[in-house]
Amino acid sequence: MAHAKPLATTRSATGIPTGRLAVWWVLASEVVIFGGLLGSYVMHRIGHPEWAAAAAHTQTWVGALNTFVLLTSSFTAVLGHQAAERGDGKAAAKFLGFTILGALTFLVVKGFEWANEITHGYTITANTFWSFYYTAAGLHALHVIAGAIIMGFVAVDAFRGRELHRVELIGIYWHFVDVVWIFLFPLLYIAK
Amino acid sequence: MSENNTEHHGDGHEGGHHVNYFAIYVALVVLFLISVAGPEVGERTGLRWITLITAFGIAVVKANLVINNFMHLRWEKRLMKWMLATSVILMLLMVAGISPDVLNHEGRNWENVAAMEATARGLGEDDHGEGEEVVVADAGEAEPAGFNAAASFGTICATCHGTGGRGDGPAGAALDPAPADFTEAVFWEDRDRERILTVIRDGGAAVGGSPLMAPWAALYTAEQLEEMADYVMSFRPE
Amino acid sequence: MADTVIDVHEHGAAGHDDHHHDQGWVGKYLLSTDHKIIAMQYLFTGMFMGIIGGFMAYVFRMQLAFPGISVPGFGQVSPGEYNALVTNHGTIMIFWVAMPVLIAAFGNFLIPLMIGADDMVFPRINRLSYQIFFVSAVVLLISLVVEGGGFGGAWTAYPPLSSMSEYNQTQLGATLWLLAVALEFVAFLLGGINFITTLMNARAPGMKAYDIPLVCWMIVIASILFMLSVGPLIAGAVMLLFDQVLGTGFYDPARGGDPILWQHLFWFFGHPEVYVVLLPAIGITVDVIATFARKKIFGYKMVLYTAVATGVLSFFVWAHHQFIAGIDPRMANVFTITTLLISVPIAEMCFVIIATLYGGSITLTTPMLWALAFMAEFLIGGVTGIFLGASGADIYFHDTYFVLAHFHYTFFPIAIIGTFCAFTYWFPKMFGRMMNDTLGKIHFWGTIIPFNVIFIPLFVLGMGGQHRRIYNYEHFPELAGPEMYQLRQIATIALLVMLAFQLVFFYNMIVSWMRGEKAGRNPWKANTLEWTTESPPPHGNWPPDRMPVVYRGPYEYGHPDREEDYWPQDQPS
Repeated sequence: MAHAKPLATTRSATGIPTGRLAVWWVLASEVVIFGGLLGSYVMHRIGHPEWAAAAAHTQTWVGALNTFVLLTSSFTAVLGHQAAERGDGKAAAKFLGFTILGALTFLVVKGFEWANEITHGYTITANTFWSFYYTAAGLHALHVIAGAIIMGFVAVDAFRGRELHRVELIGIYWHFVDVVWIFLFPLLYIAK
Repeated sequence: MSENNTEHHGDGHEGGHHVNYFAIYVALVVLFLISVAGPEVGERTGLRWITLITAFGIAVVKANLVINNFMHLRWEKRLMKWMLATSVILMLLMVAGISPDVLNHEGRNWENVAAMEATARGLGEDDHGEGEEVVVADAGEAEPAGFNAAASFGTICATCHGTGGRGDGPAGAALDPAPADFTEAVFWEDRDRERILTVIRDGGAAVGGSPLMAPWAALYTAEQLEEMADYVMSFRPE
Repeated sequence: MADTVIDVHEHGAAGHDDHHHDQGWVGKYLLSTDHKIIAMQYLFTGMFMGIIGGFMAYVFRMQLAFPGISVPGFGQVSPGEYNALVTNHGTIMIFWVAMPVLIAAFGNFLIPLMIGADDMVFPRINRLSYQIFFVSAVVLLISLVVEGGGFGGAWTAYPPLSSMSEYNQTQLGATLWLLAVALEFVAFLLGGINFITTLMNARAPGMKAYDIPLVCWMIVIASILFMLSVGPLIAGAVMLLFDQVLGTGFYDPARGGDPILWQHLFWFFGHPEVYVVLLPAIGITVDVIATFARKKIFGYKMVLYTAVATGVLSFFVWAHHQFIAGIDPRMANVFTITTLLISVPIAEMCFVIIATLYGGSITLTTPMLWALAFMAEFLIGGVTGIFLGASGADIYFHDTYFVLAHFHYTFFPIAIIGTFCAFTYWFPKMFGRMMNDTLGKIHFWGTIIPFNVIFIPLFVLGMGGQHRRIYNYEHFPELAGPEMYQLRQIATIALLVMLAFQLVFFYNMIVSWMRGEKAGRNPWKANTLEWTTESPPPHGNWPPDRMPVVYRGPYEYGHPDREEDYWPQDQPS
């Protein structure tokens, strides 16, 4: 069902392109969602020093690897943006492809990590620390998955030279996913 | 209908912004390595502040680098910066408002006994995690391991029956008929343990009594019901 | 009238939806991305849910007035069913009536029209948000009929009642209820982003920030408030869901959790939420009053800034819902002060409205009556909130019918009076016909008078100590006296009268839609841009080569130099 873009979408009374404006608002709402979850976690963690025993069993090096993977994927995403700015759709698609690869790596590593932890008895109900751990990291992983899927669509379009401005938009979202992990990593893996 | 891809660069990106993305990336990786190494140092030396600064302080710096340079917030209209700052400040406000309650396990007139016990149990634990707390996901385990009939009576029953079983609980005063006094001999003249157990499990109506006494079968296992009946029997005068 | 179809847009010239592609009924109505159709979808879904919520009120009020009665149309009400009825009445009225009608329906319909745009900036996301909303409504309705029955743990869903099925006895219902609410949140987050971005960016040339009609501002400020406050609750709801379904202990103190955390997360959202629904209602009222007083708003910027101030302050008052929950008493002091403070900006808005009316050339049309009634009734709601905001008084009042009467004196004006005000005012634009004003006034009085007769007794009952959420006061001797029953019965009979008068509204709506007098473009002689196009507006709202350009603010009524007493925004001079 072809719907032409309305005139409204092309206007910009603020000077910020509509798509980018919308992505920033999405991020604002995500900040409060993750903020609520992580704030709740932090308050509980401070109030329950005994959780350190449970937290000791998170695998810091695996978490560190994933941090590195996400950082790198942010880098490739911004390179994709640079390519899109030049009008080079194929290069942009290539960089987005690397970013998606990074996302998949992240998820696979996490899959192994969780499988390992679950078989050792650290399930989501083992202890409230683990409940928070899986919930926070899980919510983040959901955002990784959603981001990767949308990025796939944007990359396909970019490869065909279409909708190149969306490369920047999905990039902004992706960097946000990276920033959330930048805070999740010390909270879940380092703070022992 | 054609997308003018380069058109948007006049708006929002004031002038050109030339960032060496690779340099930023290298900085991020270096910071990341410090943030992993730092806590190791902090652990071994026991200087917690090293851990805090390297892990969290660096996280803030890294986030700033990503947000400003990769997300181009640096060059974005002020409106967006204010908006994002607002959402962050709001979260700090929320934590500030909630902490006094969630961080405390006691008030001026009360103690969160369950939480304090959980903390004590946890701190006295060996490396293998909280043995008692490993609850297999049974979506309905009302009591953690270690059922205490007296405590359960206090939580569930005493509001009507009173902590001493005299039928003088605060909610009981409003009921008609009022809950009986378990410490009176007359109560026990025609009641035995079997009946007590039935009433707890199936409610007062099941024995032709008042429906105000609710059935509690869903809340207790069979053994726990037995323990509750025993507890009620303990009020019986000699 | 331009017949040429421009390349970029597929708009037809005059009349209805002439598309390049013949969309068929499904494409045009069911799967439309046109903001006006989506608005109708929200409006009618909201009205349908309102009927269900109202029916629930009828059933539980009958039980309260005549305990044990077999309620006609329902049967005998068991305690569990009673709890499910009051829980879902509240949940439905707030999330599936007030929000969809005031924000989604009128926001969708009005914002593009009032800012001179041809649609929302993201029409397909707009459609998606309705679809998610529709699914959420279906999930909620299913939750009422599954095994175990509907969730009965109050719309506030405090754990452990809400997290443990042995307590709430409605395992499936509780989870479906939570999922429905979560889906509704997602729908409104998506919709909100559309509204905010559209208002910020898609305005007609010449429309500066202070030329935007206040109702649009209010809806967008409400969307921002919603977006910022719902996040922590979404996090909390995920935790509650896991407690329910996986057996985690987020809210279980024995496992390191804290039920008070839920309360805080809920009310951190819950309080701004009431302003989320209030601000659009105030916006509607203000716009209607300007039109029918033929006078500029006394302080446009004042109203705008106090709305923002209210929004900001609303984040600082939430724990007044928890004064006796065992929170830190020092926090209670803080929240008392902030709660009392927040009455000030709203009072400012009342003064602005009164000042606008003063000296105006007032016509008491049906929409105007609703707008005036909104002010009067909301005032009562507002001042009774002051008693509740004082933590000392709240020790007595908390959880009594005093609270209930207070929030019905605020919510009813917002959700019901606000809706009727907007509906009767914009009906001509939406459907191209005029509603019958006499029937409108009969409906008005038949709603307002019974409304007061329902809730004033409830204030009295509350002061007398009657607590909420109790299905049969016969179990409580001090509350079972004949005077108290009399008050309950008066309230219930008034409700029956009020419900009966709603039939007048439905009759009016249907007959006017079919046979009402044709409305023309601007029956009310109003200034804002929606009145410059046809009634109803075509797809694209205006011909693409004649999109409006704005020259002045929205409330230029009664300008001394002009012959006409109104001055549309798009007229060059």
